[in-house]
Amino acid sequence: MLKVAQPDRPDALTWVFLGLGLLLLPVGLYLALSAPPDVNQGYLVRIMYLHVPGAWLGYLAFFVTFLYSLLYLFRRDPRHDRVASSSAEIGLVFMGLALVTGMLWARPTWGVYWTWEPRLTTTAILFAVYVGYFLLRGAIEDPELRRKAAAAVGILGFINVPISYMSVKWWRSLHQTQSIDLTTGKIHMDPAMLQALLFNLLVFTLLYLGFVRFRSLLAALEARKEEA
Amino acid sequence: MLLRLEGVGKRFGRDWVVRDLSFTLERGEVVALLGPNGSGKTTLLRLMAGLLKPTRGQVERAGRALFLPNPPAFHRHLTAREHLLYDLAFHRQGKEPEEALDRFGLPGDLPLYAFSSGMKKRLALARLTLLFPDIWLLDEPETALDKGGRDLLLATLAEARKKAGVVLATHDRTLAERVADRTLELGVA
Amino acid sequence: MKLPVEGWPEVSGQGRVGAVRRVVLLALRDLRLEVRDRAGLLSILAFFAVMLFIMALALGPEEEPLRRAAPGVLWVALAFGSTLLSTRAFALEVEEGTLDDLLLAPGGKEWIYFGKLLFQMLLLLPLAALALLMAAGLFYLPLERLFPLFLTLVLGVLGYASVATFYAGLLARLRGREVLLPLLLFSLVVPVVLASVRATTGLAEGLPVAEISDWWQLLLVFDVVYLTASALLFPVVMEG
Repeated sequence: MLKVAQPDRPDALTWVFLGLGLLLLPVGLYLALSAPPDVNQGYLVRIMYLHVPGAWLGYLAFFVTFLYSLLYLFRRDPRHDRVASSSAEIGLVFMGLALVTGMLWARPTWGVYWTWEPRLTTTAILFAVYVGYFLLRGAIEDPELRRKAAAAVGILGFINVPISYMSVKWWRSLHQTQSIDLTTGKIHMDPAMLQALLFNLLVFTLLYLGFVRFRSLLAALEARKEEA
Repeated sequence: MLLRLEGVGKRFGRDWVVRDLSFTLERGEVVALLGPNGSGKTTLLRLMAGLLKPTRGQVERAGRALFLPNPPAFHRHLTAREHLLYDLAFHRQGKEPEEALDRFGLPGDLPLYAFSSGMKKRLALARLTLLFPDIWLLDEPETALDKGGRDLLLATLAEARKKAGVVLATHDRTLAERVADRTLELGVA
Repeated sequence: MKLPVEGWPEVSGQGRVGAVRRVVLLALRDLRLEVRDRAGLLSILAFFAVMLFIMALALGPEEEPLRRAAPGVLWVALAFGSTLLSTRAFALEVEEGTLDDLLLAPGGKEWIYFGKLLFQMLLLLPLAALALLMAAGLFYLPLERLFPLFLTLVLGVLGYASVATFYAGLLARLRGREVLLPLLLFSLVVPVVLASVRATTGLAEGLPVAEISDWWQLLLVFDVVYLTASALLFPVVMEG
């Protein structure tokens, strides 16, 4: 992502992403709050406007980490590792948001904070994996070993996603309990709702791109300081 | 050329243990690494072996390297013969350890926990003569050896230098003068 | 610029055959060490016994709840036992003393991974079978379909051990960080635990094999994916 050699400041593209994202955030919020309530869920459905983009971006972020981890192992370019870890960091934030909003949504709906819904469970597992990612990074002093070990976890953790998801899905289906769907699948989407959702998705994506670039720059500066 | 280090530096945390070091080793050479405790001799040997990667610079090897740590590392519950047989197999070599055991005066059926430190040193040397790498990296090989052991060490080094290159880290300047073609001094930073 | 490799003839020059041989020898050597050192084997066995006993006390004494909990308890015990054993497999290398020797052997480092993995399997499978017997006794777990149960044990333990070996090797190079192993490990092996427990439960309840086979397939997929990935990544994290 960072192609400029030795930058000291965020480049124009980073500012564009961040600026646009932050500017459009209140617009997204407005759209979310002015969208009509759902037939079944009432105003509760509005959590979706945070939850879905959060989850989407979380998974995207970890996918980027996975890609850049692979890239790092092939090219051994520290920049790839910086992007990987920055993306994981931002991903953790978005994922956390998705988990918390998921729990907040579950409480009024079923009276419990946690439910073993496949997507939520897989998200929680992935969250734990990337917490482990950062703990491991923190535990390794040698920079090159740190990068390699982190790349390994970034890869092992992500390939877990489809397998985890399938296992939790099958595990639950044996219990014949109601299938809870936290995404838009089971909700009749009013055009206004869809618009709000997509808009917020855009805002979150812009913010993600901006934050990752910014964080990668910080990581580059940190690395430069360490080498001095 | 068996071994080449170019501008090699190694840092642990904030401390540079090895700094901007360039070095070559040719077949038939014995180089002594001298310096006080903590000057990075062990680290340098491990960098040469490839057990550590340098923070800066490059290490290139043209051949197999083996590292003899101080004190030597062995599995307590194996006998000397078993240990050598396993090591030979792991190194894909089909030699017999008997002759080496005899030459170094080692009881093949004794488990390692019963070995004295001098005997362990001799076993480590025996192991190296069997595995015979291209690059011998020895960390203070003279410690714990009695007169007989020392003679064996000298004989082993003479044998090694015929077909391989040797770097040995040592505190013993007499030994260094006796066996080394040249020395490399490491100072405390 | 690379130095030309001055040819060193490998005395036995066995190439591919040599690879398998090294793996097996490493596993047998470690097994031999474990047997001679007796303390390790016995402590893991004792661990299983104590854990199953305590869980039986906690969940019993009625038969029905115990029988229902049995697969879960068994696999949790196996998970913890596997973690202990995998740390041992590398701690056995006497704190980087003898590990260096293995790392300096010729060729790629995958053989070390497979050797350590095989060692764990050779140790864990009998122990798992014993744990199964203990669970049968303490938790009234029916043992009629021994072969499918054993197959489940093999698939599950393999999945677990394949990841555990990788992480144990990685963490062996970082002193005092073994505490990270449970976190790193458990988050990845959720599918193994779920599938193994479900398969065991199904077998205990007398479900037909056709219904269990989905879980076996999941375990097999996990095993293949993670064995391959771990074996490929192991040399990367074990180098300098």
